[in-house]
Amino acid sequence: MNEAMDNEGKLRVAIDIGGTFTDGVATMEPAGRIWVAKSPTTPADPGQAVSTVLEDLLQQVDGSLGKGTAQLEEVVHGTTLITNTLIERKGAKTALVTTKGMKDVLDIGREWRYDIYDLDIELPRPLIDGERRVEVDARVDAQGDELEPLKEEELDVLIEALAKLDADSIAVSLLHSYTNTDHEKRIEERLKDALPGKAVSLSSDLAREIKEFERTSTVAANAYVKPIVAEYLDELDNRIARTKPGTPLRVMVSSGGFCSAKTGAASPILLLESGPAAGVLSAMNTARQIGVDHVLAFDMGGTTAKACVAVGGEPPVTHSFECARVERFKRGSGLPILIPSIELIEIGAGGGSIAHCNRLGLLNVGPESSGSVPGPACYGRGGTDVTVTDADLLLGYLSKENFLGGTMRLDLEASKKAVADLASELGVEPIDATWGICNVVNENMASAARIHIAENGHDPRDFTMIATGGAGPVHAVEVARKLRIPRVLIPIAAGAGSCLGMLAAPPRIDRAWSSPQRLADVDWKQVTDNLEALRKDAEGELLAAGADDIEWSVGAEMRYEGQGAEISVSVPFAAIHGKPGATLLGAFEAEYEKLYGRLVPNAVAQVITWRLVGRSPSKAHNFEWGEDRAGSEPKPAAHRPIFLPLRKDYEEVAVYDRYSVAAGTTLQGPLILEEKESTIVVAVSADVTILEDLTVSVTIKEFE
Amino acid sequence: MNNVERFNTAANEERSASEAKFNPIDLEILWKRLISIVDEASAAFVRTCFSTLVRDGNDFAIVLTDTKGRSLAQSTMSLPGFIGCLPATVRHFLDLYPAETIRPGDVFITNDPWKGSGHVHDITTVTPLFHKGKLVGFAAVVSHLPDIGGRLRSNSSREIYEEGLQIPMMKLLDAGEPNQVLIDIISQNIRVPEQGLGDIWAQVAGCRTMGERLHGLLETVSLDDLGAEVRRRSENAMRDAIRKIPDGVYKSQVQHDGFEEPVIINCSLTVKGDEIDIDFAGTSPQLPYALNVVPIYTFAYTVYGLKALLCPDIPNNEGSFIPISTHAPVGSLLNPSYPAASGGRSAIGHLLPHAVFQALADVLPARVWAAGSPNSSLTMSGEYRSKRFAVVNFLNAGQGANSRRPGFSATSFPANLGNTPVEMMETLAPIRVLRRELRRGSGGCGLHEGGSGISFEFEIMPDASDVMTSFLMTQCKSPTKGLAGGGAGKPGQLLLNGDRIDPTMPRVLKAGDRVLMETAGGGGYGASDKAA
Repeated sequence: MNEAMDNEGKLRVAIDIGGTFTDGVATMEPAGRIWVAKSPTTPADPGQAVSTVLEDLLQQVDGSLGKGTAQLEEVVHGTTLITNTLIERKGAKTALVTTKGMKDVLDIGREWRYDIYDLDIELPRPLIDGERRVEVDARVDAQGDELEPLKEEELDVLIEALAKLDADSIAVSLLHSYTNTDHEKRIEERLKDALPGKAVSLSSDLAREIKEFERTSTVAANAYVKPIVAEYLDELDNRIARTKPGTPLRVMVSSGGFCSAKTGAASPILLLESGPAAGVLSAMNTARQIGVDHVLAFDMGGTTAKACVAVGGEPPVTHSFECARVERFKRGSGLPILIPSIELIEIGAGGGSIAHCNRLGLLNVGPESSGSVPGPACYGRGGTDVTVTDADLLLGYLSKENFLGGTMRLDLEASKKAVADLASELGVEPIDATWGICNVVNENMASAARIHIAENGHDPRDFTMIATGGAGPVHAVEVARKLRIPRVLIPIAAGAGSCLGMLAAPPRIDRAWSSPQRLADVDWKQVTDNLEALRKDAEGELLAAGADDIEWSVGAEMRYEGQGAEISVSVPFAAIHGKPGATLLGAFEAEYEKLYGRLVPNAVAQVITWRLVGRSPSKAHNFEWGEDRAGSEPKPAAHRPIFLPLRKDYEEVAVYDRYSVAAGTTLQGPLILEEKESTIVVAVSADVTILEDLTVSVTIKEFE
Repeated sequence: MNNVERFNTAANEERSASEAKFNPIDLEILWKRLISIVDEASAAFVRTCFSTLVRDGNDFAIVLTDTKGRSLAQSTMSLPGFIGCLPATVRHFLDLYPAETIRPGDVFITNDPWKGSGHVHDITTVTPLFHKGKLVGFAAVVSHLPDIGGRLRSNSSREIYEEGLQIPMMKLLDAGEPNQVLIDIISQNIRVPEQGLGDIWAQVAGCRTMGERLHGLLETVSLDDLGAEVRRRSENAMRDAIRKIPDGVYKSQVQHDGFEEPVIINCSLTVKGDEIDIDFAGTSPQLPYALNVVPIYTFAYTVYGLKALLCPDIPNNEGSFIPISTHAPVGSLLNPSYPAASGGRSAIGHLLPHAVFQALADVLPARVWAAGSPNSSLTMSGEYRSKRFAVVNFLNAGQGANSRRPGFSATSFPANLGNTPVEMMETLAPIRVLRRELRRGSGGCGLHEGGSGISFEFEIMPDASDVMTSFLMTQCKSPTKGLAGGGAGKPGQLLLNGDRIDPTMPRVLKAGDRVLMETAGGGGYGASDKAA
């Protein structure tokens, strides 16, 4: 390690607040040396743990490089504060302003039931109750033309009504504001003057999309969390300033970019899914470093598994999302949120997922999860539920002595007893039930990923899986085998995966406007002018975020006129001057045919939304752990019998300490690699190679 | 219904053969995969459809059947009434086009109410699925088209001929070759052909997706074996659930708005061992209005009510249908003869789950709901700013309370139809929506109150020319009944420029006309302390 070179670099810090721990990583760029810190999350005052972690990191850096040599460039931050506030309903007292006649929009929703057979479904409660809703008498039509002006007297009445309400935050959602923002903007201006101190959120700032329920739901959620997030980010900024004055604070957003703390405080709903986004970015960074193009990022924790299909180096971004579901895995049971976020699938499959015999006599695993108390039977805390962790223990995949780095001893006998009961209920042998639990949970995950890959018109055999999370490396190889994915990569996680993702995220900016038009009728001059203006504005922000060498591209969301879902196509920015109508049509038709088999005769292609994306070219960030490995011949730490699915029996395999095996080594599966946070299980024949950056690469040699 | 008896013996024979092939672990894995394949087809259909009826209204369903037309799996968010109809449609096609004559690339189409889903406004397509050159099953999909020509969908139609274009059972694609004659005829007969045909092509795309995804599964298992096993499991679960109800004959009578006199549905439900037979003898006769319900639709909504009541958590397929049979006298409202009109059949069909609930209220008091109201709808067509429009918007109503909670407000039941966003309505038709609100206080009183209906008011834009408009309204004369001492909900009503009008006849609305549609509240449950 060349310290002189390190000293010339920039020090960047990422801090992620998780449910249990607040993790932090500092990195010296460009060399990439990293330092890691961790502290228990402080729910009452989350900033406290952030300060602790930041100070710890700076001390470590000073210790390594000499006091005061490293200049802190920026702090990047991700938080689950928004999600938790929405789930726990602990947000601000919020009022809603709607167009006259529309005050019940949040109650009425879409009028359907999210489960057709369940006669007792529970519907999500609106974030803003009936007493805090005010209507305004003013109107624009679907074309954006004003039908009824917003009169000053009407604004006076509105202000008076809002002043009487006990509300700290105000959401404004007027009909057709996606096409004409005037009335919403005028309300905002008046509120700023008349009711200073109240947070204001406009639906047209957050989601310029036609569908009033979903747009109102989005702005309601933004307003609901806004005062809390603003205070939190402000407090955090102050704390960081106390540690290192003048350090910019940037926050991760759900689409995988980051924004300034100020923008984050104004539109906090954009931060909703920043944690999972950071996890995907971390996997994408590994993919870039290793040169992989088709990626299935797979993360499995205690209660859920998440997967993301990314091709060509960029994760896909979706514009609709659902949060705070009443039933976590039932679509439609939550609050719709229209924000750009990395497209992830989430299913109820984790180490804690409970196995049971259903009414049909079949083995079900999840989505219910045992949590940590009493937890799986093997935790020995009085739990009797059979979980995936119990099955993993009985199959030899987990070690009863070495779970969580040996900090927790597992009770093998308790697992055995619980599985025996389940097996007799199912009428199968205990070993069949044990492997069955593992197999069913693997299939649940593979099935969700299979659909996702197929929906995007890809073949799983072209993919490489990147596995993270506590349970991810345990199950990854079997899930990959089910999908016929030939290679699995397991990067170094050390509980800091999200932080690495934040540090690896390239500065990126997204701008968009909706203007539904037939492709043939597009006014190219106007589109080009718009794009140029947006680029000018966005460039400043990107440069401020430290970008150099920015790549610009233009995206068009296209569909046939009358359809409701778009297909994204894009061209480089320079091409827009050449009126690329034919290029866009060709790209759209090719994609349509690939996805749906047949073009629609006589249908008219339309552009709905134009997007401008600017980003620094994604660079592979090389993270150096600053520790040396023994270069000698790898020696197994132990041997233990594990269940080999292809032989349907247990066999003794070698168990290695992951961090004792030097880079460049290739081992032969089946084997086990143990680390503190997880266990890599390879239960089939495979080449297991430790790469230069200590990522473990598993090339599977046996499929069904 | 014959479709039930037809398979009873077949299912019995297959039982012992299939049992040995699957253990409870493999079966769980394969079954889930089967359902997810149909859900994928459904997602592809929604993404490529052209009308708000599919993507906002959810007015569709997709089913996978085996080579004999027995349902194996359905899309999770299917419209309940369609689930029971689709497999029967496949069997009708098989009668006309024997399996050995069917080729890859064929796609069948019909909107015959008796063989499809009960009215000409729904189009069903059926795509045969092949694996390694062999016919393995069918993908069947039905959806409500924004328009089918003829008069607007209205209860005033006296015969099917008025209701629009009839498409007999025929081929849309013949070994991949489009039937251009049929396509031209459809195109010429419907008001918004780009939307209607667009939805039909989207159906084809959805079914194609199902076929493609099925290949992977069929590498590991025979669809016949897997199908027999899932049907057997679902059938057994339904039989187990029925067995828990004491044997007996349970009766109910449901009343709904008629024309000259109220419509009566007479339900006599016989539980015998593990089977249920429902006889609708005594139900009102067939009407010279569009409320007639074809037998398969009668069957579909009756079975749906029982399924939700008795085993909601078991995946639905042909097996769930087998222990249940329905009958209604020929010439009655629930078994009408051609050329009966049926465009508004859902108003009557949607009462069938309530008829079942009411019949079983004494034996399953904790499960059943008080009565709620079916959906209403608004159909409009005309030309605005030189563009032709034809739109259908649904309005839902209040549902009944039960022993544990109040009734759902503004919720679709037993159908599962979504509303159209106000912004979308105003984009597609020359109207200005003045309000869409909960109709507070419309639910019946009780220990638990009935759900609220909706107040929906709009006016025709000042620069619009005449707008042809048809209203399908429910429970305007007969309120939804309460249960166990609960009060009745408020009936629905329709007002034009402040005056109450009869919703039966279609109307020509002029610029500036103002319409208020109010849907009924649901019935309350239990006697309230404070109620008079």
